[in-house]
Amino acid sequence: MKTYSHPESLVETAWLADHLQDPGIRIVESNEDVLLYDTGHIPGAVHIDWRADLNDPWIRDYIAPDQFAALCRKNGISETTTCIFYGDKSNWWACYALWAFRLYGHTRVKILNGGRDKWIREGRPMVREKSSYPEAPYPVPTTRHDKEIRAFYDEVLAFLPTGGPLIDVRSPGEFTGELLHMPEYPQEGALRGGHIPGAKSMPWKTAVREDGTFKSADELAHIYEQGCGLSTDREAIVYCRIGERSSHTWFVLTYLLGHKKVRNYDGSWTEWGNRVGAPIERP
Amino acid sequence: MQNVDPSLPPRLQEIIDLFQNLPEEEKRELLIAYSDRSDECSPKEGETFTLSDIRKDQECTDSVGVFLKADSENRLLFRMSLGSHVQTLTRAMASILCQGLAGSTAEEVMAVPSGFVPKIVGTELVRQRSQTVYYILARMKGACRQFVAEQRRTDLASQAL
Repeated sequence: MKTYSHPESLVETAWLADHLQDPGIRIVESNEDVLLYDTGHIPGAVHIDWRADLNDPWIRDYIAPDQFAALCRKNGISETTTCIFYGDKSNWWACYALWAFRLYGHTRVKILNGGRDKWIREGRPMVREKSSYPEAPYPVPTTRHDKEIRAFYDEVLAFLPTGGPLIDVRSPGEFTGELLHMPEYPQEGALRGGHIPGAKSMPWKTAVREDGTFKSADELAHIYEQGCGLSTDREAIVYCRIGERSSHTWFVLTYLLGHKKVRNYDGSWTEWGNRVGAPIERP
Repeated sequence: MQNVDPSLPPRLQEIIDLFQNLPEEEKRELLIAYSDRSDECSPKEGETFTLSDIRKDQECTDSVGVFLKADSENRLLFRMSLGSHVQTLTRAMASILCQGLAGSTAEEVMAVPSGFVPKIVGTELVRQRSQTVYYILARMKGACRQFVAEQRRTDLASQAL
């Protein structure tokens, strides 16, 4: 029976309940629902919003290294703090925040298995009082690790002829081009529907059980290695609409299956589907 | 001094007035208070409705039901059922709009311009979740369109008799 390559990258709810007061950890909530943290959160958790805190407001990119350092300091996170991310939507945004922390070289990161919903379902405590911590020292990162874990448009385009695995983790309707965005919502998606040529559809949800926890290592290997042709040392790129669902798959591949060369194309379909000259494919 | 939009139902205008001069942080707190009270707009046991539209949109967080009841003067009462995973902003908007649009006609609801939403939600939240904040209003307008179309069909049928 296969085990997770980095089992230490996951914490269970019961463990966290026993370690809420640990000084070396910081619990970080990141959600799609921007007000959810304010309605109640795990005691001691801080809130990091994927857009307001991690994205630059003027350039489609992440915040500058000095802003990242300031964000960490403000939340009492030092270089040696272990950040435990959790959130709604089976941890989409938690994985996105974790991936963004890795961009700045913060490697002490973990995910709460099952996320916010599991914690609540188990009747564990929630509080409304916002957590605050004394400012912690955090040096401005000198390097951003884009090259290792992030793919840009030109890199994806150059990757296509290699036939390397390119995984589209959106819903089947988005992959086939029937959907550009969520029904009934104002347009925020793309001009064209479809997928990047050669991409294989493997919705992010395939990696989790009904309760939002990750499937076993054997099940994940069957899905991604036997099913999609990925392997430990083979380069792979994952994408979705804006990079959040693919962060979830990136986490699964990198931490749970131990794949070493997986990159997240965070420009994803909102860039590719709108880009002049970008080739697309439909079934 | 408040900006009064004549195309807005007075009850909705009152709620907008309550929000619009608050700083963003207090807006958030008031939104959460409205969200906390969203159960009050659920259909009550034994209530019957002129129209109901319950849907879970693909990739949307959970199902949302819009229930509409018209009185003899075609003034509307709205109820909403919200699945447990419906987002906080959506819950708050459901609560606000059920209160704010109660007693309006379908035509008045359909004419409500969406420009009031940023005054309630605040520009920061609109920027962050632009698609979420208009969802409930769109669903309510959709229900009104169905209601008006149904009324027209009924009128035509009775004229033909």
